[in-house]
Amino acid sequence: MSTPSAKTNLVVAGLVVLFLALAASFALSPDKAPIRQDPELNKIVTPAPKVATLRISAKQLKASGGDTSGLDCYACHDEKKPPTVKMGPDGSVVFPKEHGDLRLMMANCEACHVGKKLEVEYEKDGAVKMPKAHEDLLTMGHGRNNRNTNCFNCHSPTKLNELVTRDGTRLTFDQAPLLCASCHGPTYRDWEVGMHGRTNGYWDTKQGAAVRQDCNACHDPHGPAIPQIIPLPGPKPVLTHGLRSAATAAEGGGPKAEGGPPKAANQ
Amino acid sequence: MIANPPPESRDSISRRSFLRGSTAAAAGVAAMAAGLAPLRKLGESISVDQFLQQHYKELKPEDMDKVLRRIEGEVERQYGVRPHVRDYKPMNGVEYVYALNLTRCVGCRKCVHACVAENNQSRDPEIQYIQVIKMPNGTFDMEKGDAHYAPESVPEKGFFYMPVQCHQCKNPPCTKVCPVKATWTEPDGITVIDYNWCIGCRYCEAACPYFARRFNFSEPTIPKDKLNLEMSYLGNQPRHKGVMEKCHFCIQRTRVGRYPACLEVCPTGSRKFGNILDPNSEVAHILREKRVFVLKEEVGTLPRFFYYFDV
Repeated sequence: MSTPSAKTNLVVAGLVVLFLALAASFALSPDKAPIRQDPELNKIVTPAPKVATLRISAKQLKASGGDTSGLDCYACHDEKKPPTVKMGPDGSVVFPKEHGDLRLMMANCEACHVGKKLEVEYEKDGAVKMPKAHEDLLTMGHGRNNRNTNCFNCHSPTKLNELVTRDGTRLTFDQAPLLCASCHGPTYRDWEVGMHGRTNGYWDTKQGAAVRQDCNACHDPHGPAIPQIIPLPGPKPVLTHGLRSAATAAEGGGPKAEGGPPKAANQ
Repeated sequence: MIANPPPESRDSISRRSFLRGSTAAAAGVAAMAAGLAPLRKLGESISVDQFLQQHYKELKPEDMDKVLRRIEGEVERQYGVRPHVRDYKPMNGVEYVYALNLTRCVGCRKCVHACVAENNQSRDPEIQYIQVIKMPNGTFDMEKGDAHYAPESVPEKGFFYMPVQCHQCKNPPCTKVCPVKATWTEPDGITVIDYNWCIGCRYCEAACPYFARRFNFSEPTIPKDKLNLEMSYLGNQPRHKGVMEKCHFCIQRTRVGRYPACLEVCPTGSRKFGNILDPNSEVAHILREKRVFVLKEEVGTLPRFFYYFDV
């Protein structure tokens, strides 16, 4: 082994000094540089959600005249004992208190708008001015920033019951998922194979049909976020859990919103 | 004199010893009768057939048929309506898997109450198989969860909701601890309980890391008009005081190809169920394409219940 030359010593000493200097600089200047803030992006303002669990057209419910046997109530209600629909004097539907989160939706534009080209008025910020006649039926709130509020982004300007995609393809209301897919591709792909959205009926399609819902069965296209829901009562407090209480025994115990057991097995 | 008693008193019974002996015997008989008294009450709630019934796996088909008819009769006596009790068998080539989308769940508890109605759970004392836990965003610390939330409307900002029920584990701790083998895993992946064989020791309740098992501390109460009449032996037949019960993936529905009740009511489509052995089933797609996880993976229970977020 030869002794290290003077040059090697010099290089080693230089490196030692360099590392010491670096260590000292790190130790003495603790994160003085401010963390880079991204310029503030457009704030996401989620529109105040309206409460709803059921989406059904007002026309459909009124036309039922109280017979709800064709409606989607039987997840909770017993099909043999359908709930009755109360009507107010003006023909509007009166919801019971426990269903205060039900909402009606307009589904047929052409019942009133026939063949006329619509003029849409805008607020200064670009939002659509909602005519009074639509106040209860439409909540415009499409898009995280509530920006997709122009009717004609989706509807045909001359024929409101017709949908138009960005490339000009005309679609009927039944084909609405294809229109949704033009912006919500990944969700559409999930929905196609059953990963998104409700499936009811039979998992085993050899024994019965699986009932799939399209986009509009759950999402109001005008305000597609799932609205707030009134939660059903939670479990009783832990301390009284398991103890028989006279009050609950008297009223039957079961949750009030329950109409009966769901559909029993068809055997 | 004391050391040498007269020979005649040794063979014959003295008045004193007779009284002493007979009093002790009478007290013993009375005590035994008092001790056995609860058995007389038992005769009212449990029949001899029920008492002598074999384990589920040892029942021959004709025995099973008798048992089912007996249960129908008992329910009819108690509730005034004759139910339809069946013993549903697992299907070949089927293994059930549940997937739950935590992005979509809004915590409305409709699944909890649909389950209670479908499975004839006791309303008082309250027994619910599903527990919906409200969790603050950004954590899975169960200590921070709240199952008793009651806001005006859900979902609340800054929280997510995690329904927890029986995970139907592939390596279930609950079946291993059962001293009488009253609970086991069926070939289709459902862990079931023979309510007749269960002795109510609650070892399985203690063994379950998901708090999925419920015990009938007193005789369950179900309103007569709320009784679900489509019953299965291993599923939703009415239970008695002193036995365990838990989620069984609605055996009376899923074994005839239908979806469980909790899935049917879910308004957001968060709940997905199906046969994992079918590569085209919804759950097969989810397990392939979503980032699924299981609860308390570290305890090694290998649940058949998966959670995922839509990202």
